[in-house]
Amino acid sequence: MKESRSDAAFSAVMTGIMIVFALIALIPLLNILSLSLSSKVAVEMNSVNLLPVGTTLDSWKFIAGNGDIWRSFAITLFSTAAGVVLAVILNALMAYPLSKTYFAPGKIIMMLVVGTMIFKAPIVPYFLTVRGYGLYNNVLVLIVPHILSAYNMAIMRTFFKQFPAEVEEAACIDGCGMFGTLMKIVLPSSKAVLATESLFYGLTIWNQFQHPMMFISKVELYPLQLKIRQLINAGGDLSSMVVRANVNYNETTLGAAAVVFAIIPIIAIYPWVQKYFAKGAMLGSVKG
Amino acid sequence: MKKSGTPGGGLALNVRKYWPLYVMVLPGLVYLIMFRYIPIFGSVIAFQDYSVFLGISGSPFVGLKNFIRLFNSFDFGTIFSNTVILGLIKTVLLFPVPVAMALMINEIRSSWIKKSVQTAVYIPHFLSWVIVGGLVFDILGVGGLFNNIRAAMGLGVMLPMQKESWFRPIFAFSSVWKESGWGTVVYLAALSGMDPSIYESASIDGASRAQRLTRITLPLLVPTILTMFLLNIGGFLDLGFEQVYNLQTPMTYNVSDIFDTYVYRAGILQAQYSYTTAVGLFQSVIGLVLVVTFNKLANKFTEDGGLW
Repeated sequence: MKESRSDAAFSAVMTGIMIVFALIALIPLLNILSLSLSSKVAVEMNSVNLLPVGTTLDSWKFIAGNGDIWRSFAITLFSTAAGVVLAVILNALMAYPLSKTYFAPGKIIMMLVVGTMIFKAPIVPYFLTVRGYGLYNNVLVLIVPHILSAYNMAIMRTFFKQFPAEVEEAACIDGCGMFGTLMKIVLPSSKAVLATESLFYGLTIWNQFQHPMMFISKVELYPLQLKIRQLINAGGDLSSMVVRANVNYNETTLGAAAVVFAIIPIIAIYPWVQKYFAKGAMLGSVKG
Repeated sequence: MKKSGTPGGGLALNVRKYWPLYVMVLPGLVYLIMFRYIPIFGSVIAFQDYSVFLGISGSPFVGLKNFIRLFNSFDFGTIFSNTVILGLIKTVLLFPVPVAMALMINEIRSSWIKKSVQTAVYIPHFLSWVIVGGLVFDILGVGGLFNNIRAAMGLGVMLPMQKESWFRPIFAFSSVWKESGWGTVVYLAALSGMDPSIYESASIDGASRAQRLTRITLPLLVPTILTMFLLNIGGFLDLGFEQVYNLQTPMTYNVSDIFDTYVYRAGILQAQYSYTTAVGLFQSVIGLVLVVTFNKLANKFTEDGGLW
């Protein structure tokens, strides 16, 4: 069927508006990239917009040569990797029994889980409790508080509920036990939900800011986000170095390079995680 | 394996038969108690004059003193209204943006343009508020895009991050920039699950694309829209410390300070533990009422809409 001219025009207008939205999403990123690649003079003359002016890699070299930022990067990378593994294990172990109607205390435990969604402890007693566990200025505080969210666990539980019971039963006849069923039958067939959960937990841990703000005061333990904030805040430890050396960067270009440094890993991993987005949109209902 | 539940044998039998399930659930249960429930019980310090040295058991009980101080404090009205205003901006005013974006994305026919647009608008969701805050400060600062455009128009330098009147627009715009694109995912998933034959019969009947959008697509999305709306508004006090903290400057505290940022400064940094626990408890109780109310509404007005 041929499309009428007004239909084509309608579609073109919608497409046009969304292209503008896409550009708005990208322009700030392009701007920061250009700042990080521009010369000190160009930035001081306010002449950098969407493209680098007086292109130089000096800011990047300074940031890449900064041992502190790499240490923070390593701390964040380690906590994200360890956190994702722990989170997936803990969530699967909890979601599996809760997906079984014959697990007698399932209902009561689900009520406890829902309880954490509807009543959140105030931040100060939370802080005092977690500090009491010895997690103040401890790298584990970047991992442990984030490895079980009721919402994400509920998504996994919903997924397990849809797993065909006959397949599980057949496996158990062969004598593999409940742990064996979970490990050898259910989990290998749940790659999509495991990937989604890894994405959610990984993103939370990588991007976290509030927990390190509260619990990490030692600069040597700063994760990446805290380090970046320290670097982009004017008057940070960068400016003093800039003033004395005769170099082709300033606070603005170094701050921009630090931001770009933190964005690169996200952009690099983005194509691999993109295909799990639709799965992630599933609502984590705790019903049934 | 028999699927009979508890009746008959009772709990002991269930434990004997399914003991591995009990072992599996244990770590998660201990975790929830340690990291979610013990802090809730720790809230009793809101009714005490808590001292770290005396602990919860040793600190004197003061009744509602901390709450009275809160309600009488000069800051309370400001912080409360800031929290409500920013919450409403995020959950009500900006709510239609991802819906409209999803409907527009759905009308893009070239599949590579559609994919590219989606890829672009999802990216900001993956950046932290530290990064987004950094971008905002750069763009609105001296020599940033904003002031360069002003200069091109012959206007002088202006710094919106330090102006009270600009905080709410900046908050709103940064929310849209970071999360609206990602917000389309749930609506696009709902749209992709729709039966294409409805569209075909509609276009045979001579409906234009615009008519199909308003008469078919939008009504089909209503349950998803309603569910999302009710769930969002139920959690609207959870604005997120990270966004506000990374966008505020001392010059804008009057309009930008919310419960979370206030509690952080007065509680964690200045160690006024009991008082700020009272503030937090007040917030948690209101949050509880909102979540429960709107979940009930979601269950009432949408099929399977509530969280529980």
